[in-house]
Amino acid sequence: MTDWYFANLVLIQATLTGLVMALSVQVPLRMGVFSFAGVGSYGVGAYAAALLVIHMQMPALAAIGLAMLLTAVIGLLLGLVIARLAGLYLAMATVAFDLIIGVVATNGGTFTGGSTGLYGVLSDFTMPMMFILTLIVLGLVILSEHGKVGRRVHAVRDDQQLAASAGINVRRYRLAAFVASGALGGLAGAMNVMVRSTIGPLDIGFGLIVLALTMIIVGGAMSWKGAVMGAIIFTWLPTLLEFVGKWQTLLYGIIVATAAVLLPRGIHGVFVDLTRWWQRRRREPVAPPPAETAPEPDLEPLMTGPTSGTASSTSLLGGTA
Amino acid sequence: MQELVSTISLGSIYLLFALGLSLTWGTIDILNFAHGAIFMFSTFTAYLVLGHIQLPLVAVILIGIVVGAVLSLLIQVLAFEPILKRARTKRSAEMQILIGGIGIATIPLAIAEEQTKSNPFGLTGSTFSVNVWHLGSVRITNIAVLTIIVGLLLWGATALWFRRSKQGLALRSIGVDSEVSSLMGINRRQLALVTMAVSGGMAGLAGILFTASLGAITPESGDILLIKAFAIIILGGVGSMVGVAFGAFALAFVETLVLTHTSGSWTDAVAFGLIFLVLLARPAGLFGRKEVRRA
Amino acid sequence: MSSVQPTESATPVQAAVGTPVLELRDVAVHFGGVKAVDGISLALQPGLIYGIIGPNGSGKTTLIGAITRLTGLTRGDLLFDGESYVSAPPSRLVDLGVARTFQTVRLLPDLDVARNIQVGADARGGRGATDGPAARESVGARLKGLVSGGSAPSPAVAAAIARTGLEGFERHYPDELSYGTQRRIEIARAMAMNPRLLLLDEPTAGMNQAERAEISALMRDMRSEGGLCQLLVEHDVQMMIDTCDYVFAMNTGRLIAEGEPREVVQNPLVQEAYLGRKFREHA
Repeated sequence: MTDWYFANLVLIQATLTGLVMALSVQVPLRMGVFSFAGVGSYGVGAYAAALLVIHMQMPALAAIGLAMLLTAVIGLLLGLVIARLAGLYLAMATVAFDLIIGVVATNGGTFTGGSTGLYGVLSDFTMPMMFILTLIVLGLVILSEHGKVGRRVHAVRDDQQLAASAGINVRRYRLAAFVASGALGGLAGAMNVMVRSTIGPLDIGFGLIVLALTMIIVGGAMSWKGAVMGAIIFTWLPTLLEFVGKWQTLLYGIIVATAAVLLPRGIHGVFVDLTRWWQRRRREPVAPPPAETAPEPDLEPLMTGPTSGTASSTSLLGGTA
Repeated sequence: MQELVSTISLGSIYLLFALGLSLTWGTIDILNFAHGAIFMFSTFTAYLVLGHIQLPLVAVILIGIVVGAVLSLLIQVLAFEPILKRARTKRSAEMQILIGGIGIATIPLAIAEEQTKSNPFGLTGSTFSVNVWHLGSVRITNIAVLTIIVGLLLWGATALWFRRSKQGLALRSIGVDSEVSSLMGINRRQLALVTMAVSGGMAGLAGILFTASLGAITPESGDILLIKAFAIIILGGVGSMVGVAFGAFALAFVETLVLTHTSGSWTDAVAFGLIFLVLLARPAGLFGRKEVRRA
Repeated sequence: MSSVQPTESATPVQAAVGTPVLELRDVAVHFGGVKAVDGISLALQPGLIYGIIGPNGSGKTTLIGAITRLTGLTRGDLLFDGESYVSAPPSRLVDLGVARTFQTVRLLPDLDVARNIQVGADARGGRGATDGPAARESVGARLKGLVSGGSAPSPAVAAAIARTGLEGFERHYPDELSYGTQRRIEIARAMAMNPRLLLLDEPTAGMNQAERAEISALMRDMRSEGGLCQLLVEHDVQMMIDTCDYVFAMNTGRLIAEGEPREVVQNPLVQEAYLGRKFREHA
């Protein structure tokens, strides 16, 4: 067991980082906030943590904590400014944000290491720390999917007017999504730079956005389980597909395209649908929808006065006055 | 002055590429994120063909157009139509098509990457060659002239079609079977198919002309161009033909400026920054008419 | 369902005194040139069922939107229990004690019936306190929520289910159920908010006579307990007469008549509003 662990340590680390990053996209998506800013936060978090370690020799946890704080605040500011955009446009604005971060990193001179990035980020970060941090945030996300908050998130996503009428402050929830996304992205980036000891613009470009997106598409955006599945699949898939040889990327692409078209809610969505179908089969059938009852015409003739309605009312009421 | 020429030729290329994207987005509400992949793959196909036989530019362009149109149709029928049929709300359909496009784009990318090992590929093997002309102090290539002419012509034709098809669609949606819509004689699905095919054909055309101008492209060229096209359309406003033309030349102008006055690494950022700023300040764009805000 | 009561048409509405639950003072909602609501004043007393009737386009739904703060006022004031709430955000309405149903059925498709109703009950927990972002909820409360997530519905939900006769449907999903049942779930959700004012926006649209009668009986049943005030927006005249104690008639954004249902319905202005429309339709 431990042999396998050490032989695959890099992949295990990548899975944990990938999971947290996938969560940074999944959490807002679940709420109907189409923000990919988590990927940009990943970049900011990685660079911030790297710089803190390199220039101030900060211990790993402190650097990670500060990086997360920074990305959470950036997330909040971003949210305040663009949260009102409709889905597609919000998505593009956040993608633009992510790409701008990449350009800034490339052009940051010696401070950000330019196009080669930063090296030698050596800290006291350990694997137990990585596991614990990951499990903590995963636990928090799981909690947010249950109980009152979990239900309210459904309302915020599906029907905002309804949410408002049920006392939900929709704007606050959406802002919280941005903050959470920023913090999670920053954590992923910071942890990654700690284990890889380097960060560069090539690590955080459009490719990362596509990777996060594919994890969520295939895994499923509606639940943390989707993020877990997506992270595991797409971290380990390249290794598993090695036997396919040179057409690896093509197979990868086909999988993603198929999932995007056929499984809008990912693998997790398939499980949910199957579960519900199974539950439905095991239950007694409900009263069939009223195909036999036709809706009454909207406007009743008033000319003959209210008594005209009496004739058509059924005996359920025992007759009106 | 030379910069002006550069701007115009760059802007024409951008315009050609963005036209197809704007056409489908403006008429049938489909933001096709595989547009860049179609652009690239049409050229890639031409490159493969040219590896076997020599062809004049006209034939190469034809290949590009046909491949682009066919790819686009395939995507519409195999991916976008099923998505639209099954989507619950308009908003989720939009996102699913966006994501679907991104997903599908990985396939041509993978094929091209595998074949070229991510190296640039061009249209060598065509009988076409670049000629440079001098008008006073200004250099301009024959391909640039061709691109500018084709770009403007196509823009005009598209703008006209756009207006007619929008009229037709609008009239149909309120139940009036006018002369315009019956002249078109086609229903909504057919219009979507035709629009996608035309859009794909334009992407292919843009790919050939672009590659002929630059000499070569890489499999990833489509992606960055896609983001720029998005910036152009957002700046100009979705659903506006004037807007897309304005956006194309405006972006080309600013990029040329940035390129000549700073190091080249910031030029791409112009597009990103533009997207962000426009969505912040005036999401409907300069000439746009679509509703972009939720609240 | 609880026992059915005969229609009471002689409730002494005018005799009710005290602070009205809801009061509108010269409320107007203009959209550009369109005066959807143009100067409406009314007052609702607790313990009664009120109705708003009017043809399509008379401004009824806009008025409900204004009352629930989903639409802003061009002019006028809104008071709940005597205090103005005209600048409150829509999410504050529940704290005040206002619950509503919508013209179209709005159930969350991914939650089962019990959880849908629970969304309403969740709202009442925050009475007086505002709902903060996810991170602020106490760990204890969340753990409890986690534990109770899959178990029996909370008391408020169970009560609402019993009131609306939805026993047995708790684990079903909205898309499996009939339209009439979905409507009842909506009402149950609103009831779970423990409101003092319940707004029902065309709750019987698309129902047959039997279903209408059931809703009417349910509303009259709910009136009998603890001062609940109900405001019903309806098309169907018979429903109005059977259910309401007092009716407001609207047309083109104004009140054209008010009073006891039978009187209002025989008011010539009201008949003309309906007749005129039908006349124009059949011309």
